Amino acid sequence: MTHLILRRLATSVLILLAVSLLVFVATLLLPGDPAQAILGQQATPERLAALREQMNLNDPIWQRYLSWLGDLTVGDFGVSAASGGPVIALLGERIGASLVLLVAAASISIPVGLLVGTYSALHRGRTGDHITTGASLVLAALPEFVIGIWLITVFSTTIFPILPSVTMAPPGEAVWNYPSQLVLPALTLVLVVTPYITRMMRATMLEVLDSGYVEMARLKGVPERQVIVRHALPHALSPVAQVIAIQLAWMAGGVVVVEFLFRYPGIGQALVDAVANRDVQVAQALSILIAAVYIVVNLLADMVGILTNPKLRTGGSR
Amino acid sequence: MSVIDSPQLVEREVEAPPGLLRRLIRQRQAKIGVALTAAVVLIALFGPLVLPWGATGYTSTEFAGRPFKPEGLFGTDNLGRDVLTRFLDGGLRLLMFAALATLLGMIIGGLSGMAAAYRGGIVDSAIMRSNDVLLALPQLVFALLAITVLGPQSWVLVTVIAITHAPRIARVTRSATVAVVTEDFIRASEMYAVPKWKILVQDVLPNITGPLMVELGLRMTYSIGALASLSFLGLGMQPPTADWGLMINENRIALAIQPWGVILPVLAIAVLTVGTNLITDSLARASANLNVGESK
Amino acid sequence: MGLSGGGAADSLDAHSPVSTTDIARVLNLYEGLLYRDENYELHPLLATRATASPDARIWTVDLRTDVTFHDGRPMTGRDVAATFRRITDPKDPKTGASSLAILDQVVVLNDFKVEFRLNTPTATFDDSLGQYSLGIVPEDYDPANPIGTGPFIYRSFSPGRSSLFARNEQYWRGGNEPYLDELEILNFNDNDALINALLSTQVDAIGQIPLALLEVIDADPRIGILNSETGMWMPFSMRVDKPPFNDKRVRQAFRLAVDREQMIEQVLSGNGRVGNDLYSPFDPGYASHLPQRVQDISKAKELLAEAGYPNGLSVELVTAPIQAGAVEAAQVFAEQAAAAGIKVNLRRVDTTTFFGDGYLQWDFAQSFWYTRNFLPQVNNSSLPTSPFNETHWDHPEFAQLVAMATASVDPEKRNRLISQAQEIEYDEGGYIIWGHPNQADAYQQYVAGLVPSRTGLALSGFEFRRVWLGKVL
Repeated sequence: MTHLILRRLATSVLILLAVSLLVFVATLLLPGDPAQAILGQQATPERLAALREQMNLNDPIWQRYLSWLGDLTVGDFGVSAASGGPVIALLGERIGASLVLLVAAASISIPVGLLVGTYSALHRGRTGDHITTGASLVLAALPEFVIGIWLITVFSTTIFPILPSVTMAPPGEAVWNYPSQLVLPALTLVLVVTPYITRMMRATMLEVLDSGYVEMARLKGVPERQVIVRHALPHALSPVAQVIAIQLAWMAGGVVVVEFLFRYPGIGQALVDAVANRDVQVAQALSILIAAVYIVVNLLADMVGILTNPKLRTGGSR
Repeated sequence: MSVIDSPQLVEREVEAPPGLLRRLIRQRQAKIGVALTAAVVLIALFGPLVLPWGATGYTSTEFAGRPFKPEGLFGTDNLGRDVLTRFLDGGLRLLMFAALATLLGMIIGGLSGMAAAYRGGIVDSAIMRSNDVLLALPQLVFALLAITVLGPQSWVLVTVIAITHAPRIARVTRSATVAVVTEDFIRASEMYAVPKWKILVQDVLPNITGPLMVELGLRMTYSIGALASLSFLGLGMQPPTADWGLMINENRIALAIQPWGVILPVLAIAVLTVGTNLITDSLARASANLNVGESK
Repeated sequence: MGLSGGGAADSLDAHSPVSTTDIARVLNLYEGLLYRDENYELHPLLATRATASPDARIWTVDLRTDVTFHDGRPMTGRDVAATFRRITDPKDPKTGASSLAILDQVVVLNDFKVEFRLNTPTATFDDSLGQYSLGIVPEDYDPANPIGTGPFIYRSFSPGRSSLFARNEQYWRGGNEPYLDELEILNFNDNDALINALLSTQVDAIGQIPLALLEVIDADPRIGILNSETGMWMPFSMRVDKPPFNDKRVRQAFRLAVDREQMIEQVLSGNGRVGNDLYSPFDPGYASHLPQRVQDISKAKELLAEAGYPNGLSVELVTAPIQAGAVEAAQVFAEQAAAAGIKVNLRRVDTTTFFGDGYLQWDFAQSFWYTRNFLPQVNNSSLPTSPFNETHWDHPEFAQLVAMATASVDPEKRNRLISQAQEIEYDEGGYIIWGHPNQADAYQQYVAGLVPSRTGLALSGFEFRRVWLGKVL
């Protein structure tokens, strides 16, 4: 089993490397000259040349890639073309804000998804099940900005204008000091993510409920409540963990549209800005960051899968 | 998927598609899905056709009045054009591009998935590892970079969305194919020295239509969402094109005042994606039942 | 205060304001020697007087004696000289440098008197001194510690998001100005968020609302509207040295293809004045005698046929959201021009691309300019030596008239020359100036002291010193 985990780990590192190459090349291709972007309209040919030299823009591409990669490994993300400051300082706040949003959304959608999914499975074929299945099917189909716009229409502009539809905080103050502004963006994410968890929970729960050992427990006369909590739930959780992980990973990228819609000052918004401003260093840092989160979360999900899979467990101990 | 050793598999292979369809249509959910999808598709298809006949009195780039006024059935948009006209004219491209992107994604993903499963070895790992790389870059981040680099032309949009779909489709195709290629009838074909591509097309493909159809539906739903999202971000369809996603982007500032310019397209996209998703879900059930047989 | 625009590239540098929010910040932290008031009239600010020598080569400026910087030090002639040295530093020229190319040096006569020595006679040098990017800063100025003489003092700043300023207790104007204890300027990247912020009382006032929404926002009893007529212009620019626009008949045809009234209606919801292909409508020399140009499709077709396009032609128009209404104007033009057999293909790029390598190279594009008088505008955009000669306008007769006007101290003679120069542009110029949009801002009714401003800058030209808050009802 250790061997398997190590292999999986090595693959992840390789994928991350490949992604970094992809990101580097893609951001290199962004139209416009980074030196020009930093100097703006006041650029003179001499200053441009000097800055290009300083930024190593004249070096061969592979050399620039390697030095960029080297800087990344020691946590140096370079200098932002737009602000002139180090990228890391710019991003710290943004990452924090996005994390708050993601954690808020996850801490609602995971328990809700699990509960609703279990409820649905236990009431299979009855009205409650039909309603939740139908609702999750509908919600799962909707693009995130569609959900967001409905929420804004209902809670912010027309019917119940009670919640702010934009996020703003004075400088130096964190977004979480204004919880009412977090409601709609977080709710949007919750509504996007929960249906998947619910559906997966329902499906695995059904499978477990139909399985031999649950039947056995029931036949033995174990109270139904205990059957579910002690026997069924634990077995249903591990496949669901994987879906949850995938959803968390999705959120890291999907947050872009939601942040754009609600003007939320997180990494998604920063990425859209950076690409629009040709702030290559920031765009690189953010893309690689989002990809890294994606890879790590998927890795963790696989680990959980490996660790909880009984077949692999015996295989490893051999 | 756990019924590989079922003895009737070879016979079922022949009648898989009609069986799938029959089972599909038998579900109430599928009927709703088809009705919803058809409603939106009809609007999108016939909208542009009725406009030249003066259905609304305007073309989609003509001006009906000042911006954001209640004139006409659904008011005017950000440039004073008739919202209903723009709406009727704005669905076809979204549908067309979504379908193209889905098809292209299915072709790339399907072929590479089948190749990976059938050839195995180095080809398999090469294809699947590059899939992993593509999967690690979130769809939207990839689209954002690619469109900024290449510009928002139609072929870029379609290709970018297709490429983000391909690895996921490849995974599904591969696992479905792997289950099939170990079957006896494939081995038999191989023994008769039937060319490999022929085996893939004649023997493998019909046996994986179930999961592929499900994937097709799912990807279609996501293509519509992705295209609309890109237009909403301003990276998709460009003005003065009439397009539902772009309409949302253009008229969003007047959401509180003249909401139809946003609500009509949002509603259409919502109904459409819900419809395709209902069909897909029914498809998944139908194909799952098919594999399990009539055991329940 | 909520303002749209700005991004991570924002700065507090007194002399490099780029975005709208930069300008708003700079105008409240720093002050120039002269300034343009809400009627677009030039007034002394930190100066008491600016007088030209008879040959207009030397300008003497008397400074106010009662002005102190935010750190308490008095403002003197040495600071003025240092400020202009910083702006025109050949190694790192700032935004205002281009209009100061005529400036040889600033000589400090005494603490409160300086002399600007020019290399070219310039009768309107005082106008140049009234630009907002020429705020006077102390000799040891460092943008990291933004000290000026303005009504508000720097507290905190986060680029692309917001900035917080506090009242300058030592402000020289006295009379309790500024009235506000604190000024917070927030950036918004889109109008939707901006308006929602106002309607939900998250901000007190917002600058530049979309004109399409003006009436509806005005209908809200809690909200007041500031609708200012301006001299801003949002032209289409045709490169006069590139086909098909190197033929002046094509340019004339394009100008005749525009339905200006409809432009104002569709793009500005009626909030603007029709343009006559001339800029600087507030200049005393403005050629108001020229007849208003109106749409004339048959004449346009005729001109195109003469120029060798009897079946019309197809052009690409590069557009970008450089200003509210820009992309919209391009769409309306495309629709109108079709009637004259001109097929306009829109190419929308983002703002960074628009002002990137391709800027000043586009054959047919758009632009946006704030209110300016004729001569400074020409220096910026309409001479071969101008830094932003978008139309590649190089007309010897025009240039000669401009040079003569610049050198004439006599206002009447100068105005006549300006008028003549404008006639040339009216006939052959590369700009299609279809209108002058209004500037509309919105504020909560409890905000008082805002007045309409012709400058084109939002919210009374960002003069927040005049603003106070009434009772919150």
